[in-house]
Parts: sequence; C-alpha cells; structure tokens
Amino acid sequence: MRRPDEVESLFSRTLSVIHSALVSYYRLTEDEARGAEEDLLLWFQRLARRGGSAQMPVKLLRLSLLSAACQYGRSFQLWKLGGADPVDSDLGEILAREPDDVANDLDRTLEGERS
Amino acid sequence: MTGRVLRFPRRPLSSDAGRLAAERVLKTPLAERPAAAAALRLEDPETVLALCAMLRQRLESAPAAVRDEAEFLYRFLETPRREIGLFDEREYFLGETALLAGTACRHLSRRVEAQVWFDRSEAGFRHTVNAPGDLSRLGYQRLAERLEERQIDIVLELLPALIESFRSLEMTEDALKCRFLEGLALMETDELERAIEIFQDIATEAGSLGSERLAASAYANLTHVHGMMGEAEAAIAASMKAIPVLRRLDDRIALAKVQWGIATLLRETGQLQPAIEAYRKAQEEFEAIGMRADIAALNLVVADLLLEQGQDRDALREIAAALPVISELQMAPEGMAALSLLRESSRRQEINRQALRELHGYFQELRA
Repeated sequence: MRRPDEVESLFSRTLSVIHSALVSYYRLTEDEARGAEEDLLLWFQRLARRGGSAQMPVKLLRLSLLSAACQYGRSFQLWKLGGADPVDSDLGEILAREPDDVANDLDRTLEGERS
Repeated sequence: MTGRVLRFPRRPLSSDAGRLAAERVLKTPLAERPAAAAALRLEDPETVLALCAMLRQRLESAPAAVRDEAEFLYRFLETPRREIGLFDEREYFLGETALLAGTACRHLSRRVEAQVWFDRSEAGFRHTVNAPGDLSRLGYQRLAERLEERQIDIVLELLPALIESFRSLEMTEDALKCRFLEGLALMETDELERAIEIFQDIATEAGSLGSERLAASAYANLTHVHGMMGEAEAAIAASMKAIPVLRRLDDRIALAKVQWGIATLLRETGQLQPAIEAYRKAQEEFEAIGMRADIAALNLVVADLLLEQGQDRDALREIAAALPVISELQMAPEGMAALSLLRESSRRQEINRQALRELHGYFQELRA
C-alpha cells in the first residue's frame, strides 16, 4: 500500500474513536466534531510527511493522532466555556486530565480491540 | 484550567500544489519574498513542508544555500509571529528550519552558529505532538557536531541511547546512520580495522534496506580508511562503488571526501606529486560548495607534502592561506595550540613540522 493510502486508512480506522472522544468526552456538537475531524485529517496527512514522522511506520503515528484530537477537543471546549465551570462533573474531570493521558487510554482501547 | 484557542485558517494547498509553490519560492530571490509572500503562498503549510523536504535533499549538494534558505524561512515564520497551519505545525516548522540551518552550518564548520540553531530547533520540536522522532534527529546532529569537536568519549557514551531511540521508533535508516559516527570515532582513535568492519556492515545493511545514499556514503568512508592504510585495491574498489551513486544523488560533500580518500591513498603509497594534484582537486570540490574548513585542512596537508619535497617557500604559502580560516573557525584547544606554534614558526619563516602535522592531523581525522 502507498504511504498516503496507509495514512488515510489509519485515519479511517481511528475515526470512530476520535468522533466518540470529541462528542462524548469533550462534548463537542456533531457539527463541531465533523469540522475538527476535517482539520485533523489535513494535519495528519502532513504529520506523516514531516522529517521525523516520514521515517516512522504509519501505525506508530496513531497515538499522535489521538493526542492531537484530544488536545483539539479540550481546547475547543475550554474556549466555549470561556472561563466558566463545566456543567457537569464528568466534563470537568476530562478537562482536568492531560490530553496525552486520555489519548493513551484511547490507544490502549484500540490496541485491545485488535488483539 | 488553561487551554489555547484553536486557529481556523483557510483551506491549504494540496501537496502537489505545495511542491509547485515551493519551487516558485526557491526561484524568487530572498529579498523579494516577504513582499510577495501571499502570491507565493509562503504561509501555506504545504508550501513550507515541501520547502523543508527540498532543502533537506540539498544539504549534501549546496549547504551554504540551504543555510541561507533555512534561515530565511525560520525568520519569516518567527517574526512577526505567523500562524501557519494547524495545531503544532508552526512549532514543527520552526524546529525543522532551525535543524536544517544547523546541519548546514555543521557541514560548513560554523560550529558556534550550528549550536545556536540546534538550540532553536529543540525549542520548536519540544512543543510538537510527535516530538521523539524529530528530537532524535536533532540528537544525531548534535552528536555529529561533538564528534567534529573530538569529544569521542561523549559520542561513544551517548550513541547507544540514540540508536535505541531510533529503533524504538522503527526509524531503521536513522539508526543505521548512527553507526557512521561509531566508524568515524574509530578512525579518530586510529582503530582502522574496526572502522572498516563498521563501514562494511553499514554498506551491507543499507543495501538490504534499499538505501543507496547510506551505502554510497559507507563506500566513501571505506575509500578513505583503505587510503589511510595504503590499501590501493580496496580503496579503489570502494570508490568505484561510491562515485556513480553519489554523482547521481548529487552528494557533493561525499564526492569531495572520496577525492580526499584517493589523495590520501596516493600519499600513503609514496606518490607525492599525484597526491598533491588529487588534494587540489578535492579542494576545488569543497570550494564549489563553500566548505572552507576542508579547504584549509587540505592546505595544511599539501604544505606537509611540499615540505617533504623540499619546497619550503610553497609550503609557507599554503599555511598562510589556511591560518585565517582556521582561526576564524574557533577550533578546539588542541587545534588552537598547534595553530599558535605554526603561526609563530610562519612568522620566523621556519615551519614547525610537528605543529603542522598536529593541526592537519586534527583536521584530517575529523573530516574523513
């Protein structure tokens, strides 16, 4: 498989987890999540062509993709809140966590599903 | 609780359009670019990504031009602050352009400048999502710089961890590239047989990875080591494997080093005049790509050969040509000590042969 196709394929396989994280964890609306996913795809296609990433197998870039998705979701929700407290404790807890930690959990879940 | 507001820029170029835009940028004189930035799509991440890839490919053929281009890009992205791309892309581009500038400076022996660029690169990469791969590439350049400063113990201490980083990221070519530093360090410590084993291993493994650039570089180094050992057949065989590939890849740095290796072979086999001519040819090749340190180093080697032939006056001329460059490059202490002795003897018109040999030995082992 050509590398650009591999990149698209990995993104497609990860998309449901990303969407779920954006909507369920970070409480983005469906429209907001779709916009985020479009940006994430463009970003991920370029990430895979960076100096260091281009030498790595595409599969190893999945964690970076999930991490960027979580950073996006968190930043977007914080921006929407505009300094106000989250409406419920679950959202408060997810916003209090480091996006990389959340991404690691999601990555492990995906890994578990595969094995 | 903190968080940054995300950027929503306009839709970027496609990757093909980015490559075309990058070619247009490179054809535009540096001074005209800021005013034409919008028309050149210089703030589009695809353009900058393509520019970085193109400059990376030219590091071995035109380091001086790459340094200037990379510095331009870095300054353009940095001040005034330009919001380029999505998420961490601005930071990545700052890290990458600084790494390019630093690597080019290393090739040009502008060591202090290289170190500052490497610090800037780290500052950029540190804030990116997939930092380990890029920071490891930066680590390689820093170790290569340390090798050129003869910090052999530090290089050998830190090299295994760097190789391990590349392996864990499955960056196999980069892991293999690290072994060049091991081979060069062995040349530095005069363990030539072991250096040959390392470069042969690299050539074999590069062949199995399909990396002709690494394989050709390994053969370029083998040319030099066999040349140092006076092994004519092996040196020539290695050079014949290296040269066609290096020419095709336009790797002018490695080509000049092959030429240097052949000159060393001629010297080691007692063919002094042909050796001088071969060194001159290597100098011409280094001159074409702006590698002044290597030209100065070869001035010293040629001076030594001229002394051997009793041509003291010509030898002094060679030394006089090298001294300002060597001084400007701020060499390591042992190099500077030899330089002082040589400068003094040059003033008295009597060459201190030992100082000359120490200084060009310092250069020669470094540059192999």
